[in-house]
Amino acid sequence: MALNTLVVDDSAVMRAIIIKTLNLAGLPLGEIWEAKNGEEGLRLLQDHWVDLAMIDIHMPVMDGEVMLTKMRENDQYKNLPVIVVSSESDPAKIETMMEMGATFIHKPFTPEILKEVIMEVTGVSNENED
Amino acid sequence: MKTKIENVLKEATIRTFEDICFMYLDPELADSQKNLEPEAAAEVTFHGDMTGKLIIESRGGLYSAMAINMLSHDHPSVQQKKDALGEIANIICGNIVPSLGRRKEKGYKIESPVYLDKTAWLKENQRKPLAEVILNFNQGRADIKIFVDDDHKTREIRD
Repeated sequence: MALNTLVVDDSAVMRAIIIKTLNLAGLPLGEIWEAKNGEEGLRLLQDHWVDLAMIDIHMPVMDGEVMLTKMRENDQYKNLPVIVVSSESDPAKIETMMEMGATFIHKPFTPEILKEVIMEVTGVSNENED
Repeated sequence: MKTKIENVLKEATIRTFEDICFMYLDPELADSQKNLEPEAAAEVTFHGDMTGKLIIESRGGLYSAMAINMLSHDHPSVQQKKDALGEIANIICGNIVPSLGRRKEKGYKIESPVYLDKTAWLKENQRKPLAEVILNFNQGRADIKIFVDDDHKTREIRD
């Protein structure tokens, strides 16, 4: 299964790093879409089939917490695997997002950590190792 | 306290450069790396149990090398270099603030990174940092400084 992935972060550099690390992780990737805030991310979700969303917390226009809340209110995305990739240090904020079913990856992260978490939340296996 | 914060700062910086920039520490600071002028600087302000800022300065080619490695792009634009430096400052700051202050449960709000021009950088460098680390990587040197508001600094050093 190739994972269609949505990467939502207001920093173009951080989006590039996440995509580079996804490629280094050796997972079977499909299409990758990029959004610079939650509003753009929700629009891309409407227009494309997405298997995994990787979202930042602090973004202008619509932050990651609001985006996740709106996703969970929508039957279509309420079970979509979501990984929050952030340098957030507020335990209450992290807890709130985890309660909505998101998994948290703290920056910085390695391809190995990313791979392990993605395999866990999506159930995909590393086809390159088969 | 200062030593503890410097150790956390050093560890967070090394891990960030390894994982995000694919750069590795050269344990010895060569003589040629000691008197380099800064190429660029960025700051990140934080608010929580303590209020202050983290400043990163790049020297010796690190500024371009960071963006090249992060973006896998041989000719990053000026804006991409600024963004790369700011992003690294943001990540290091997010990892250091949980070690600052006493009420850890309070959490910290971290502002978006700001690129510093030379005037702003010179002004900041007149202050004495709470903690500072100078690290030489295989593609240049990074100086990271933590500044906190004066009342916090007195308290932390006393503790």
